[in-house]
Amino acid sequence: MSKAAVAPQSPLSRFWHKWRFHLNILLLLIPLGFMPKYFADAALFRGDSGLGERELGEIQVGPWSVQLAELRDEAPRADGPAGYFKAFNLALCQACIPEVKAAYLRIGKPRSLRAAGTIFFGTPYRMSTGLPIPLKTRADADIWITLEGWDGSMHQAAVPLSKASPATVAWLNKQGGK
Amino acid sequence: MKSRKLLLPLLLLGAAGPALAHNPMCECKPIDGEQIECTGGFSDGSGAPGVTLDVIGYNEEILVPGKLGENSKLTFKRPDGEFYVLFDAGPGHVVEIDYADIEQ
Repeated sequence: MSKAAVAPQSPLSRFWHKWRFHLNILLLLIPLGFMPKYFADAALFRGDSGLGERELGEIQVGPWSVQLAELRDEAPRADGPAGYFKAFNLALCQACIPEVKAAYLRIGKPRSLRAAGTIFFGTPYRMSTGLPIPLKTRADADIWITLEGWDGSMHQAAVPLSKASPATVAWLNKQGGK
Repeated sequence: MKSRKLLLPLLLLGAAGPALAHNPMCECKPIDGEQIECTGGFSDGSGAPGVTLDVIGYNEEILVPGKLGENSKLTFKRPDGEFYVLFDAGPGHVVEIDYADIEQ
């Protein structure tokens, strides 16, 4: 029996030795609090909860139709010096998948196919893009969807920004219309 | 020893941010009154040497067909009338700058 090593313990040390087991259980419980967000995000990105957080439904673009959705119902996100971006998802209609070569999104009517805006990438059932939102965008602006066909044809449709993303319009109004 | 060798790559992996899109960006400013200098790049910090940058009139006529130099810059004379600068890093990877946004 050696009693030599028993030094007087500080209150903190005593607290730790008494409760360390329970504290470690608590540490294991913390991640559980993040589970709902984790599963919601997983469902969103996998498509289980639809095309995006705010779906705009079917939009007719010439002979074709698409589904458009805001990925997240929130204000645009900053991407450093490149400015602010808003993520949109798009799904082509079943019949247009073999016919459509590319889909673009832009604020305001494109001047040409070359300047049709940002391109959608990914599977035709769930394509994504980040739409640049200039700070001086007007609240009554339209976003233009441009579809380019393999046959060289081009079709366009416009959706009011206020309908496509009310959160973006609210954010623009808060910026004070620069 | 082996686990030690793995430590650094693993730490670096942990430090890596989520894969963000490298959005194209372009900035134009006037120099010496008559000239305009445009700088292209991507939001991940990379430059854009050799990328096409065209100056196009409102009638869609290409006024200055150009490519960015080794320093990702291109200098050209300010055209008369209405025009826009198109930084074209490929379909859907473009930046448009209107002449009105290039301060005189």
